This record gives sequence, C-alpha cells and structure tokens, in this order.
Amino acid sequence: MASALETLPAISETTSDYSLTIAPYSLEISPRRFIKTVAYNGQIPGPLLRLKEGVPVTIAVTNHSGDDEIVHWHGLFLPPEIDGAMEEGTPHIASDSSASYTFTPAPAGFRWYHTHTFAGRDLRKGLYSGQYGFLMVEPRDNPARYDQEFFLALHDWGASMVASDDGSVSAVYDSSTINGKTLGFGEPLRVKQGQRVMLHIVNTSATEPHWLAMAGHQLRVIALDGNPVPAPRAVSMLRLSPAERICVEVEMNNPGVWVLGEVRKHIMATGMGIVVEYGGRTGKPVWQQPQSLDWDYLWFASPARQEKPSGSLNVTTIPLTFESKFLGHGAMDRWMINGRSFPETETVALREGQRYRLIFRNKSMDDHPVHLHRHTFELRRLAGKETRGILKDTLLVSAGTEAEVEFTADRPGLSLFHCHQQDHMDMGFMMLFQCS
Amino acid sequence: MRNQRKLLYLLALFALLGVTELRARAQGNYEIQVYGSDTVAPKSTMVELHSNFTPEGSKKTDDGTYPTNHQLHETLEITQGINSWSEVGFYLFTSWQDGHGVQWVGDHIRPRVRVPDSWHWPVGVSLSTEVGYQRSQYSPDTWTWEIRPIVDKSIGRWYFAVNPALERTWHGPDTNQGVGFAPAAKIGYDFTRKVSGGFEYYGNFGRVWSFSALHDQQQQIFAVTDLNVSPKWELNFGVGLGSTAATDHVILKAIVGRRFNWGKHSTID
Repeated sequence: MASALETLPAISETTSDYSLTIAPYSLEISPRRFIKTVAYNGQIPGPLLRLKEGVPVTIAVTNHSGDDEIVHWHGLFLPPEIDGAMEEGTPHIASDSSASYTFTPAPAGFRWYHTHTFAGRDLRKGLYSGQYGFLMVEPRDNPARYDQEFFLALHDWGASMVASDDGSVSAVYDSSTINGKTLGFGEPLRVKQGQRVMLHIVNTSATEPHWLAMAGHQLRVIALDGNPVPAPRAVSMLRLSPAERICVEVEMNNPGVWVLGEVRKHIMATGMGIVVEYGGRTGKPVWQQPQSLDWDYLWFASPARQEKPSGSLNVTTIPLTFESKFLGHGAMDRWMINGRSFPETETVALREGQRYRLIFRNKSMDDHPVHLHRHTFELRRLAGKETRGILKDTLLVSAGTEAEVEFTADRPGLSLFHCHQQDHMDMGFMMLFQCS
Repeated sequence: MRNQRKLLYLLALFALLGVTELRARAQGNYEIQVYGSDTVAPKSTMVELHSNFTPEGSKKTDDGTYPTNHQLHETLEITQGINSWSEVGFYLFTSWQDGHGVQWVGDHIRPRVRVPDSWHWPVGVSLSTEVGYQRSQYSPDTWTWEIRPIVDKSIGRWYFAVNPALERTWHGPDTNQGVGFAPAAKIGYDFTRKVSGGFEYYGNFGRVWSFSALHDQQQQIFAVTDLNVSPKWELNFGVGLGSTAATDHVILKAIVGRRFNWGKHSTID
C-alpha cells in the first residue's frame, strides 16, 4: 500500500483528486431553522468520495474552521501517520493550514470520514458538528446488482447534557436529521416500481444509536460496516450505533409515498426521517409504526454449524474490561479500560502476523460502540453465542454484556481503539495497540 | 416553538399574578423541601410522604394555634407530570399530636413549569405557584398563596439550588401584611453515585419591604442526606436547628418518594 503525508502551505487543485475545505457553515435543517456548525465544502454531509480499490488517490484538506482539525478515514487500512487520529501520530491541521493525503484505498466497501477532535463540554465540536461524509471504495470487480443507490447519514443536533437514570449525565438532542434535513424538508428518495435500490446508511451521531425502518418494505442487509455479511437477510428494521454502517437492498415493489425513518417515536418527532416517493405517486407519506425494537448481529452470521470452542488455534487473547468512575451527578463519568483512563491506559504490544482475540467485558451501565482503527475484526462471540463471518470495525457492546472479536495484527505502528461515543472517548475511553 | 410560546405565556402569567395578587402567610413545617428545577415526566406520578417531627418547638402560642412541640406532621404530596416541562402537585397536610390525635390540617395545589432542556440555559429554572387552605388551629392564615422561583445547577459533585419564595395571605391576620419573603437554598455534595449530603436553609424574613426583627424571623438550617438508590425512589432525611425565637428549635424531617409510570411504556416511545 502506498501512502504519503505532506503538509502544504496551499493546495493545488491539479495535484489532488479530491479537496475538502473545513469551514463554519449554517445548515437549514427545516424551513428557517438553522444550525450553526462546521462542515466540509459547505455541505452536510460532506461530498461523497468515490475511490477505487487499489488505485492511489490524493485528498487535499484545508482547514478554515478556526480550530485545529483532523480528518479520520474510518474503516480504511491506512498507516498511522495519515489515519486521522492524533493519538496514533497523525498531525493535526492547524487553522488556515492544509494537508494532503495520498494513499491506496482498501478495503473495498462503504466507509466514511469524519473529524476526530476532542469536544469535552463544547457540544458543538467534534462529532457533534457537521464534519462527516461518505467514502465508498469501489471493489476491483464491481458486482453492481442494483438499479439505483442512495447514501444516507443519520445525525443529531443541539445536544444538552442532562441527568440520566444511571446518575450521570448524557446527551439529549433538539433535532435529528437524515442527510442534514428533517422529515419532509429534504428531497425525497425518488424510485421506480420494480427497481432494486441500494441504501448505504451511516450513523454519524456523536452519541445516539438509531433504529430505522421503511414503511411498506423489507430491508435486505447485505453488508455491515461495508463488509459483506455471510448470510444476507431481509429485516423490518435496522439498528445503527454511532459510526456503524449498514448496506441494504430494497425491492421497490410497493408503489406509494412512504417514510423511511426512526422507529422510536420521540426521535422521529425531532425530525429523523426521509420520504421515499415512487414515480407517478403523490400524497401524504405513509408511516407504519413498528411496535418493538428488533435487531441481532447474529442474524447475518455464517449459517449455523457446530463451532469449535473459542480461543483455540494460536490466538492470543486480550481481555478488555470497560468500567466507569462516578464524578458527580453534574459531570460525565470517567471511562476506564482495564482500570485506567487514556492517556494512562496500557499500550498493548502486538506481534505482526499474530492473531489476537479481544474479549470485551462491559461492566458499565452504558452501551459502547467500540471501534478499532486501521483494522477489520471478525465477531466471534456475542452474549455467550459463538459466531463467525461477521466482519466489522465498530461493534456495539451492550451494557453488562461480553463480546469477543478476532483480528490479525498486520499493520505496523499504533492503532487506536476507543468507544465511538464522543463523550466517552473524551472522558478516557481510548487505548492504543502497538504492532511491530 | 409552540411549546416555547406557551411556556413564556405561563411564566408571564405567574409573574403578573405574583405582583398583583400575592399575600403573605405564615408557613408551618409540613413540607420542608428545597425544590430542584426538574419536573415529573409525563405519564408519571410521584407520590411523596413528608414526615416532620418537632422534638423541641413552641409549648404555647398566643394566636389561637396549637403549640408545635412534639407535633408530627405527615404530608402526602402527589405530583403528576403533564408534559416535558410542567407538572401539578397536590398536598394533603395532617398533624399528629398527643391530646389532639390525628388531625386534617389542609390541602394545597401547586402547578409548576420549567425551562425546557432545548432552551440550553446554563442553569435549571422553574417557577411554581402554590395555593391552599389550612385550618386556623394550625395556621392563623387560612388561605395562602406562594410563588416560588427555582434556580439550580449541578457542577461535578456539587449541587446548588435557591428558591426565593414570595408569600401572600388571602385570609387571616396577615392579610394586610403584603408580600412576605421566604427564601430557601441548598448546597449538596455527591459522596458516591448513591449518597449525597449537604445543608438546606429555610428562612422567613417577613414583609419584603420591611423585614421583621430578627427574633420574629424564622431561620433554620438542616443537615441533610439524599439517597439516590434508584430512579424510582426519592429519599431525603435531615435534622434542622432553628436559631431565632420564632423558629422551632429542633425538627427532624424525612421525605420518602416513589415514582410510578402510567400507561404503556414500550421501547419505541
């Protein structure tokens, strides 16, 4: 894989395939309702970066936000100096400065890019802001089996930290959008009867998981976090925790005007939805309210068979226990991995080529969407059940449960591991792996 | 926006009523509590029992009321959440005392509104108004009205709240006394996730523009603890000392509250 990082005084459009400019932006999420935030190229979501697997690309980034910024290329196998996390060694981009990133995209699939800065108590910075965009790495041989595709980003705006039942504070939001618009304000997804439509959906929320359903239609899940699943399956709804992606096929076989939206009523009420409109059909969009929340990663695992007990075949296990420390009813909890908060967390040494199993033990009262940079891992055990075949880079470990994943340490250098909830990450839920 | 406008109208209405209609009242030790700004959630009811015992209070009075010494006051408070920013509370006051048995004292009603989270104010703010009747054997002022602004803030382990309440009497000897000032305040510290401790202050200075002499004011400090054992339960215990002649010298208080959720609460709500 070729890669390069170069800090430039200015960007020459002719030398880069894509350019991103980070700058303040006012987003109209519904008529005359504006969110003042920071965005890429004056749009939310940022521009779709469509890259080709194995074909080098150069992306220029200019920062006019007024603060130091950094762009993380989420889900790509990149060297630590350009992956987009300062903890790994990627330099930040000072305000009114530029940087250029050249790399060979891999792996193929639906990825995304976003800011990777600290927000703390400023609930308009970091992942609370509008700095997110789609990144699609086209496979070398594209088996496009669909007629039309849409990219959808779920996001929440206007965070407040309020007291929660666990005695700490957690974020609640004023509004929620799909592609920066509340339900009924943005352009509908225009489809035709008989089409097979592909939806690439990413949850870009700083802290909030989302449940999505499309009235009148089933959603056939074909990829999780951009990686094809062993057992595609049609489901009535999706669950996406922060940073997760799901690719679904939809058979457009039920003409009408429908709503694709958040299943939970109070989130739908704050705007999370988009209209799906068949050609030649008009009328009020129809929503069919599901009565429960249904989701299980294991639905999409390799077909059932007797699995060997986990932990065999020269796999080194690394237990990681997640706990919180109470800092007061008016404060966010301090988060710890194996009893320590970042930067005091242990940097675990990995041997290149060795297979590792991470054992996540979530002993806290919160769910954690944990993300491993620069790698894809395989889900091997969830809530006591062995499994195979699900490849991800972000996994929701529910409160009080355990999960196990495996990966091969084949990328030298530092790799960041953290909870993708901005408030958890800010409060110490991070650690590093050092592969050599 | 419609909710914000509705809330502003309510706040303005309460403020207007406070200016034009408030009358002073003497307050008994039936509900000893510094209010926080949060309100009970919709489709939820909070049932609280306030138990206040006066080991050392007045042994005789000259205004026709019973002495407070060794009185046990049991107050049932039922608060119903209306929406995400308002609630209404009802009170049933009783007094238990040797020689008098169990006596009904009176009832109050207390609507309350708060500034919603979506306004992103740096402190919690709410406003309650309380109107009600109490029998003359327990309070010379029988019909009273109170308006209570509430401001609170949690900072890390610390909690601060102030309730600069204004009171007015509708019927009783203090009817012509104008507006009375009865502030309360609280400072708390979270020792653990479940155990907090601190101090609560309750005062009654008399008329707003002409405070009573110190010995006629009510001034009390309580050492309190709050036990946050469950989101469903509210537990507060304290012991209070009165520092003026007009204040009961020692009071023990306990608040035991239980939250009940009504209707169907499913995961999709």
